[in-house]
Amino acid sequence: MSAAKVSKKRKAVTKDVEEEAGVFSGDELNVGDIDGALSDDANDLSSDEEDSEVELVDDFSSDEDDDEEELDSDEIPSDGEAPLKKKSGTSAADLEVPTNDDESSSEEEQPNFRIEKDANGNDRYVYDEINPDDNSDYSDVEENANTIGNIPLSFYDQYPHIGYDINGKKIMRPATGEALDALLDSIEIPKGFTGLTDPSTGKPLELSQDELELLRKVQMNEIPEEGYNPYEPLMEWFSNKQEIMPLSAAPEPKRRFVPSKHEAKRVMKIVKAIREGRILPYKPPSEEKEEDLELINYDLWADEAERPDHPMHVPAPKLPPPGYEESYHPPPEYLPDNKERKAWQEADPEDRDREFLPTDFGSLRKVPGYGEFVKEKFERCLDLYLAPRVRRSKLNIDPESLLPKLPSPEELKPFPSVCATVFRGHKGRVRSLAVDPTGVWLATGGDDGTVRVWELLTGRQLYSVKVGEEDPVNVVRWRPSKDAVVLAAAAGDDIYLIVPPILDPELEQASLDLLDAGWGYAASKPAPKASEEGKKTTPPQWVRPSAALADNGVCAVIPLRYVAKSISWHRRGDYFVAVCPGSSTPASMAIAIHTLSKHLTQYPFSRRIKGGGPPQTAHFHPSKPILFVANQRTVRAYDLSRQLLVKIIQPGARWISSFDIHPTSSTASGGDNLIVGSYDRRLLWHDLELSQRPYKTLRYHRKAIRAVKFHPSGRYPLFADASDDGSLQIFHGSVTGDMLSNASIVPLKVLKGHKITGELGVMDLDWHPREAWCVSAGADGTCRLWM
Amino acid sequence: MNGVQDSTSAAASSQSAQRQVRVQLVSKQEDIALPESTGPILVPTGLRRYALSTLVNNLLGNDKPVPFEFLINGAFLRTSIDEYLTANGISAETTLEIEYIRALIPPLHIASFEHDDWVGSVDVLSATSPATSWASAVVSPGQERILSGSYDGLLRVWNMSSQIVATSPSPADGGHGASIKAAKFVSPNTIVSAGLDRTVRLWKYNESDDGFSGKITPQIELYGHKSGINSLAVHAPSNRILSASADHNIGFWSTKKSDAPAAPENLVPSAASRSSKRRKVSSSVSTPQRGPLALLSSHTAPVSAAIFDTNDSTVGYSTSWDHSLRTWDLVTAALVDTRSTSHSLLSLEHLPEHHLLATGTSARHITLIDPRTSATTISAMTLRGHTNAVVSLSRDPHSSYGLISGSHDGTCRIWDIRATKTDKDGVVGESVYSITRRSLEEQGKADAKRVGGEGVKVFSVCWDRSVGIVSAGEDKRIQINRGEGVLSSA
Repeated sequence: MSAAKVSKKRKAVTKDVEEEAGVFSGDELNVGDIDGALSDDANDLSSDEEDSEVELVDDFSSDEDDDEEELDSDEIPSDGEAPLKKKSGTSAADLEVPTNDDESSSEEEQPNFRIEKDANGNDRYVYDEINPDDNSDYSDVEENANTIGNIPLSFYDQYPHIGYDINGKKIMRPATGEALDALLDSIEIPKGFTGLTDPSTGKPLELSQDELELLRKVQMNEIPEEGYNPYEPLMEWFSNKQEIMPLSAAPEPKRRFVPSKHEAKRVMKIVKAIREGRILPYKPPSEEKEEDLELINYDLWADEAERPDHPMHVPAPKLPPPGYEESYHPPPEYLPDNKERKAWQEADPEDRDREFLPTDFGSLRKVPGYGEFVKEKFERCLDLYLAPRVRRSKLNIDPESLLPKLPSPEELKPFPSVCATVFRGHKGRVRSLAVDPTGVWLATGGDDGTVRVWELLTGRQLYSVKVGEEDPVNVVRWRPSKDAVVLAAAAGDDIYLIVPPILDPELEQASLDLLDAGWGYAASKPAPKASEEGKKTTPPQWVRPSAALADNGVCAVIPLRYVAKSISWHRRGDYFVAVCPGSSTPASMAIAIHTLSKHLTQYPFSRRIKGGGPPQTAHFHPSKPILFVANQRTVRAYDLSRQLLVKIIQPGARWISSFDIHPTSSTASGGDNLIVGSYDRRLLWHDLELSQRPYKTLRYHRKAIRAVKFHPSGRYPLFADASDDGSLQIFHGSVTGDMLSNASIVPLKVLKGHKITGELGVMDLDWHPREAWCVSAGADGTCRLWM
Repeated sequence: MNGVQDSTSAAASSQSAQRQVRVQLVSKQEDIALPESTGPILVPTGLRRYALSTLVNNLLGNDKPVPFEFLINGAFLRTSIDEYLTANGISAETTLEIEYIRALIPPLHIASFEHDDWVGSVDVLSATSPATSWASAVVSPGQERILSGSYDGLLRVWNMSSQIVATSPSPADGGHGASIKAAKFVSPNTIVSAGLDRTVRLWKYNESDDGFSGKITPQIELYGHKSGINSLAVHAPSNRILSASADHNIGFWSTKKSDAPAAPENLVPSAASRSSKRRKVSSSVSTPQRGPLALLSSHTAPVSAAIFDTNDSTVGYSTSWDHSLRTWDLVTAALVDTRSTSHSLLSLEHLPEHHLLATGTSARHITLIDPRTSATTISAMTLRGHTNAVVSLSRDPHSSYGLISGSHDGTCRIWDIRATKTDKDGVVGESVYSITRRSLEEQGKADAKRVGGEGVKVFSVCWDRSVGIVSAGEDKRIQINRGEGVLSSA
């Protein structure tokens, strides 16, 4: 049996192997021999292989040739196993009955035993009981068969019988017809005559037709089997076509394995490294095994009862005996020192490694009662009641981290922080003040009916004029342009336009010309009819001031007939809006827009704004033709060119005192921002893009807020409010250019200094046009510059 | 004090008995210098200023001990030598060179001259004042004059016995129509003043022989500014004046009638204008009216101060509320350099020895700025201590390191740029002395803190070698302070 043949056979399908097994069964003996030899061989080989594996380390490359051989020889043992398995089946089959093959194979398919599990869990073969029925072999024996066994018949040549039957009777030699029979036989040779004598019967052996046919085929070198087609169509098992299913489910045999030289080199490297000690092949077992959460540990000794000593019984481990620490009188080295004691006492009861503290009592009688007794009993009771006890969860939140991250005021410098100048001179309250556009002068107006102009830095009064005989000056505002200097002041029912005589001749002339230009325009208009004169809604005519006032720099007077409390200039300086918030003022005359160049007064609103009482104050938008008007509860934006209500802002305050529009509103940086101050102590920041409700509400004052103001330049993102509690508050409120981020508001400074007089504190405030300086008007008769 | 000092020094000596350091005491002033033969002295490192001062007095053999200050490497010794060595990492093995100078004695109040109104400006004519030295005139001791410009629009010249020698004429007679904010002696016989009436006026000052009466007569009226003038600077040798105005311009004027161009028509108050109608400004005296040589306009806010470079009269410096300090070439009236700070600048003084410009800010400190283009940092040092805007600065006539500042907080502070401490913002100067207003002390409110220096604001300060520190302010007084004793011996 050459290796080549075997290998070819292995490649064939299993079905083939079974058929071939039949061929093998023909020479059983050989099979056994081969088997034994091969199994020895296999053992040798396997041991060889072990050796070679060890040697692999040393000289791998030299081993390659051996491997080749081993590959070949390695196939044999696995081959030998296949016929061995079949042996039980094939040996049972009869030699001369090829048709029995099927039966034997069917027998093989149905084993005559069952497999059961024995007590140890091993397989146990239970064979069927043999039933001696008619099918048994004994009944098969013929009545008069010869029983002499397998001995030559020539032993009986000298006897008349040729043997004995089963009953011991002699089987007589059949009569030999001698000559006659020989003659007859020579004349008539029966079909199947062989001339041989059947040894078992002593009769002439006759072959059947089938046997004859078989012999003939053997003689003719034909295949003896009936119906065998040697030219069956070729089944191409191995072709270039890739099949989806494998031909065989058998696992890839080991002999197919071709060891990778590359891997071997890498292994060599590792081995070398290990030898040289660069790699430690064994990791020392880690000390602590991570606790497997899924692993369930059963308490084997949970209900341990007393049992007699037995080798198969492992008793529960005993608790360690109490140590020195538990002793009432432990040796001094077990006593904790102060530090340990303190650490134990401060630790949480759950965190303590010991439940007790070793204590030295000197003698047993000094040991006190167990202190935790009642507590433990109580806990036990709670356990029995299944009373849940709140699990204490520590809140480890740093309160600082909860505060919003505000930049420190130090980083947001400059902002006004100290009082630099006190302007003293007004008798009674200072109601309003304003810094002129050049930032050199400060105008103030107060209860004493005077309008005063001061040098800002030194606090020197430069100019004073008494415009209101009895009435206080409610508001002063500079015209916001540098080409001419005009101060508007509202006192009593009139608004006075003043050119203070502190200017150089050129500028003074320009200012006077600006104010005088309107006289001619007003005169050219038809005078109001007498009938209209009586009507209250007629716009007032501007008049020239009295000689005394004219000498003091007052250039024009607008008789409004009602007390104006708010004046706001348009950015270009040609218009200003005055608001008369008095409740007696007719709704149509509460808001008046005055045109400087035409000496014209207009009433843009004919009806009262719905809801929220009389209007309080009004401002022009810094860049758009929009007028913001605030009544007690809402701020409304009107588009003057289209005569439309654009927006209603609801700050939620009960009584708005003042508001201001961010100077960069609607320019490069985003939308409009508005701050609103209210008498109910709130300062509200509105981002008009966000909502009509306030973006932020600041409640820092104890009393009403009277004035709010943004820094006008836009260079410093500052705004301030003035309150009746005598303080100003400075805030940083930067409006970012993009629409994505909201304004950040940081409170910077509380400026205190004004005395509260008659429940009133700071009445008005204004910013320096360029610097981070602000001025405030106090009810105590002083103004202050903060820088 | 002495006992405490002794015990501490004893403790220090016992503690560091072995620790001694070799010091070489030197002085730049000859009258207090040690003899040449004095070599390095071994002193215990525990010594402080007082002990060192005693040591030097002993070495000099002074009968009356003179207080000394000690400088190591240009910084005042404010701790013990030991602590200084540790702080600066200097080995005690080396010979330490210690310079000693006379300690400043707290300036004492000498006199106060009372005015009718706020005093906006003050100047001194003495033997050592610039006006005298330029004119090479002689002012004998005791004949010093003090010039004050007041908010009532009048100039007054005082002698040292608080008598008014001369008063300028009223507006009707060619005087200032509004408050005077700056006034200076150009020469012993010439005065220049300016104020809120937008004019710079040159006056002739004549004194009778007995020195008890004098006359100020208007010489030239200079028109050109459109707003109030905040300060003036004078350079007599070149007959030039610089004025700083709130109209954002710096005026450059000549003191000579012949040099100056004609006055701009639109700025001269004419008979037609309203103000002239109201107030009879058109006076009986007709004064020649002139215009500026140049108006330097580059500032974007009121200019607070303009000065000449001390060494080079063709260079001018100006400070403004627009936060910038600008350097000008006065010959071509061209802007040379701009240095921007972060605060409004309100006053300016040149420290030529250190190539520094001291400028007082609205943020209550003094910034020292190196105007040279090679300077990398804008601010060389900051002097902190005032509690309100610093509006006036003057050099110490005795020392190139000294400086006095007048502030709206009602104090004058003397600074030595060597007296520094390290702050979180870096090296910060500390004031050596602070002079409060006498008027507060007289009212018995010396301790009372005035909010914003109300009523006692200092508007102008002038430090003269012979007269002392002259300051003027909102309390309607000129106040003279002098460090008696030290200054006289110097």
